[in-house]
Amino acid sequence: MKKLVLAATVAAMTLGLGALAWAHSPVCTCYDGGDGSITCEGGFSDGSSAAGVVMYVQDGSGKELLKGAMNKDSEFTFKKPAGDYQAVFDAGEGHKVVIQGKDIVR
Amino acid sequence: MKKGLTILSLALATLVLGAGAAPAHFQMIYTPETALEKGKEVDLKLVFTHPFEAGHTMDMGQPEEFFVVHKGEKKDLLGTLRSIEWTSLTNKGKAFETSYKVRGIGDWVFVLVPAPYYEDNEKAYIQQITKLVVNTSGAPTDWEADLGLPAEIVPLDKPYALWTGNVFRGVVKSAGKPVPNAEVEVEYLNHIPLMAKNMFDKAAKVKAPQDSFVTQAIKADANGVFTFGIPRAGWWGFAAMGVGPKDKHEDKPNSQDAVIWVQAVDMK
Repeated sequence: MKKLVLAATVAAMTLGLGALAWAHSPVCTCYDGGDGSITCEGGFSDGSSAAGVVMYVQDGSGKELLKGAMNKDSEFTFKKPAGDYQAVFDAGEGHKVVIQGKDIVR
Repeated sequence: MKKGLTILSLALATLVLGAGAAPAHFQMIYTPETALEKGKEVDLKLVFTHPFEAGHTMDMGQPEEFFVVHKGEKKDLLGTLRSIEWTSLTNKGKAFETSYKVRGIGDWVFVLVPAPYYEDNEKAYIQQITKLVVNTSGAPTDWEADLGLPAEIVPLDKPYALWTGNVFRGVVKSAGKPVPNAEVEVEYLNHIPLMAKNMFDKAAKVKAPQDSFVTQAIKADANGVFTFGIPRAGWWGFAAMGVGPKDKHEDKPNSQDAVIWVQAVDMK
């Protein structure tokens, strides 16, 4: 019986997580602050907060330059790298948004 | 014969008057696109008109308030308004324009509290408190907020995320309280506003078979909720009539209405 309850719980959790994963998609947009800083703002299509979501910045060759996380306002600010770069909003498998530096304007 | 002519003239006069009286006044806040991929400078036109017919455009006075709400924060934009002249199909009227740079993600709710407009035909004032919601990136933040305006339509469906054929629902509120059985007028923006020329396009998109289709009058239910199926892509305006508490202005009746605009797109 205990095993059955556990199985049911796991199934319910899976369903719940599944629903969560499918129902929302990640969004992230970045802008150039004009003062040498880049600010990215993230969120989800269902309105949930992106606070704590991992952010990293890579150079043109994919090398990680820095890593951080969205703050409580779902924002992440970093110093604009010299040369090509991309910002990655990483909310897990299937929930990544990659923004090219050249698309980040004021 | 003379009698026949008189009757004919009367009938014609009635028709003309009937047609003239039927379309509703609608305060517009217009921008071409409400569902934006990412932030940009959003151009806005504030025009008080009859949108289905692009007819008589009223002279707007200096608005009492114009602001935007984003992530719960209100920002005053009254000082950014510039006076313009808007050309309808029949006249020119005083209107306003501005632009606002939306940056980041979420919803921006633009709110206009216009000066009461004196409608001589009705010997009464009309004040249409109007909302327009713009979104970037598809992450919602503020669209469903009840801003506690004197007269307000609080949407139950995202005004910028409607397919043609979806329903749009809203709660009619008076100072935050639902208005049972509120009267709501609905009009289609039948002539595209030409942003650079400050005028309506002369070409009409649809033809109404009869006046009841120009301004559709519907009712909210006992909870102040109305539902409208959207039959065509484009802009639809909803105006809940006389729901606000301020029913007098300068010793004359004042109809404090709540207006919201929604934009529907075709599935293709």
